[in-house]
Amino acid sequence: MENFTNTTIDTTQLPRFEEVQFSKLHPDYWKVMLINTAITFLILGVAIGFVFYFNEGIRDFAVYFGVGFGILVGLTIVFSRIGFQKRGFAFREHDVLFQSGVIATKTIVIPYNRVQHVALHEGLVSRYFGLAKVEIFTAGGSSSDIEIPGIEKEQAENIKQLLMGKIQKQL
Amino acid sequence: MIKADFSQPQRQSKVGVLVMFFYTLQKSLRALWPMLVIWVFKFDEVNKLYLAFGTVAVIVLVGFVSYLKYLNFTFFLDEENQEFIVTEGILNKSKTTIQLNKIQQVNINQSLIQKFVGVYALDVDTAGSSKKEGSIKAISHELALELKTRLLENEGKLIDTDSETAQSALAEAHPEEHPFIKISFITLLKVGITSNYLRSFGLLILFVSTIYENISNFTEGDVLEEQSLEHYIDGTSIFKGILMLVAFLFLIVLIINLVRVVFKYFDYKIAKQKGSLLLSYGLLNTKSTIIKPEKVQITTITRNYFQKKMDILEIKIKQATSGEPEEKKSAIEIPGCSETERDQILKLLFKSIPEKGVQLQPNFRKLVFSIFTTIMIPLSLYFAFANWIEPQAFEFIYLVPVYIVFIGLVLYFGFRNYRLFISDNFIIKQSGAWDVDHEIIEPMKIQAITTSQLFWHKKADIGSIILHTAGGNVAFQLGDFTRIKRYVNLWLYEIETSDSNWM
Repeated sequence: MENFTNTTIDTTQLPRFEEVQFSKLHPDYWKVMLINTAITFLILGVAIGFVFYFNEGIRDFAVYFGVGFGILVGLTIVFSRIGFQKRGFAFREHDVLFQSGVIATKTIVIPYNRVQHVALHEGLVSRYFGLAKVEIFTAGGSSSDIEIPGIEKEQAENIKQLLMGKIQKQL
Repeated sequence: MIKADFSQPQRQSKVGVLVMFFYTLQKSLRALWPMLVIWVFKFDEVNKLYLAFGTVAVIVLVGFVSYLKYLNFTFFLDEENQEFIVTEGILNKSKTTIQLNKIQQVNINQSLIQKFVGVYALDVDTAGSSKKEGSIKAISHELALELKTRLLENEGKLIDTDSETAQSALAEAHPEEHPFIKISFITLLKVGITSNYLRSFGLLILFVSTIYENISNFTEGDVLEEQSLEHYIDGTSIFKGILMLVAFLFLIVLIINLVRVVFKYFDYKIAKQKGSLLLSYGLLNTKSTIIKPEKVQITTITRNYFQKKMDILEIKIKQATSGEPEEKKSAIEIPGCSETERDQILKLLFKSIPEKGVQLQPNFRKLVFSIFTTIMIPLSLYFAFANWIEPQAFEFIYLVPVYIVFIGLVLYFGFRNYRLFISDNFIIKQSGAWDVDHEIIEPMKIQAITTSQLFWHKKADIGSIILHTAGGNVAFQLGDFTRIKRYVNLWLYEIETSDSNWM
């Protein structure tokens, strides 16, 4: 308590989180997303195909189903593209920010002194492109955790080290 | 007090076999109750010898199993590794290891069975998982207190309050020594008739539907056959019938509420102990809990119009937990405080009474949107259904204005009460149409902040904010986004420049 001061804070002079420049995800991550979408729809398509193969009664609707399926695939790809472009992350001196969202722009901020632990996750497809996902956890439950996908493995390791360093300092 | 030795694996109290026996019996009865019902219904047809035989067999088996359970249940304190270890199970052995510094709470409870036998249950709660990890079902009172002290001792060392936790642990068993708040029976009655209508109603529905389902399962057919039902309705006018049904339901809900509140909160006592709150309550199962101010995350004060007139209110306190499903469980409720008692409790928790400060209100679009989702959409669905599928539904058209007025009022008051108050040390969110909630958090308890804005709200400059704490989230929707962002920057600054603990 010796060094305690209590000067008035000028809230307009504080650093603004909304003006932070966000780094984009790695371009290769778009390919990862495409491949994952393709796999999902392939499985779905095969399943629907089987239904039509064994069920003659509904075969007449196959064309409508095909068109509907095509539109669904198209929409998913368009939305994932927008989602990919809108995602971004930033590491400031005292906190980490992550932005995402297609319809709503969502920004989540976690101060370093609230981070519980950090994990590195490599998906099967991501690993092929040398990408990793950094997961940052707080005590606030799953809704307040940040997952930053599409970061080069080496950079992800660095980020993890950086965060670990910041957490250690707090303790 | 003589230091009991916990370093060797030990079993529960010998009478614990009895507790185990009752618990196992209870469990098997729960599993077997359909069979029991068949027995009761078809008593004459079943050979009485079989019945007696079966009963004896079940009791012997349960007794044997519970004895084995007792034999296989051991617990001990590993001083070297600072761990508390519980081993249990007959065929599937399980060993639970809890690190002492992870322990959040140690509760000593007593259920009805335990009260008869004269033992206590000791539950160890950690932040790490959603369920109670270590649970000892039968332990003598002195041993329970001693063990609790030892379990919490370690934590005491960590947060530098050494003997404090130990003493409070001892005092917890005797909060009646100097309780500063006692909730009287009359107050409980008041609480019972003024709160939780919805919850009791839900319980009632659940209860009735379970009974109905079970009965119709056994009698192989609907008890209420459609014809007889129609007959009944024809006899009295529909309107009168509905009115009577509503009145009857309301009465039942009131009674259920009263009984539930009295059973749950009978003899509620709150005592102070070195800055912590010690609570004890319950008619059949006496519960005692401890609230440490530094662990409190969200404090909710709820009151409705009737309660305001009677000067009672309910306080809910959420402490630090992890994992969402636990959230509900960990809320500690204090029903029926007066305003002065509320202030006393708040002073204890926050060292000052939270002031409301600057007010943020939602944009009118919030009201428009909720009218759209809860009035327009259901009504258009109803009209579409009545128009094209089932014209008979038009018979209920007189309910439409009732629905619109009722929901409209709920939405209007909900909107009018929806506010966020921000002061230097507190953030208070007010919400609710009938039961008005005030959720109080301190900026220092924030774990992370989410802001979000729909792209068509950019021009209107409105957006939402979610404050994440270790006890759950507090969200405020469609407020002035520029001001919200300014407060986010301020809170981030405050969190990042201080090393004050959130727990």
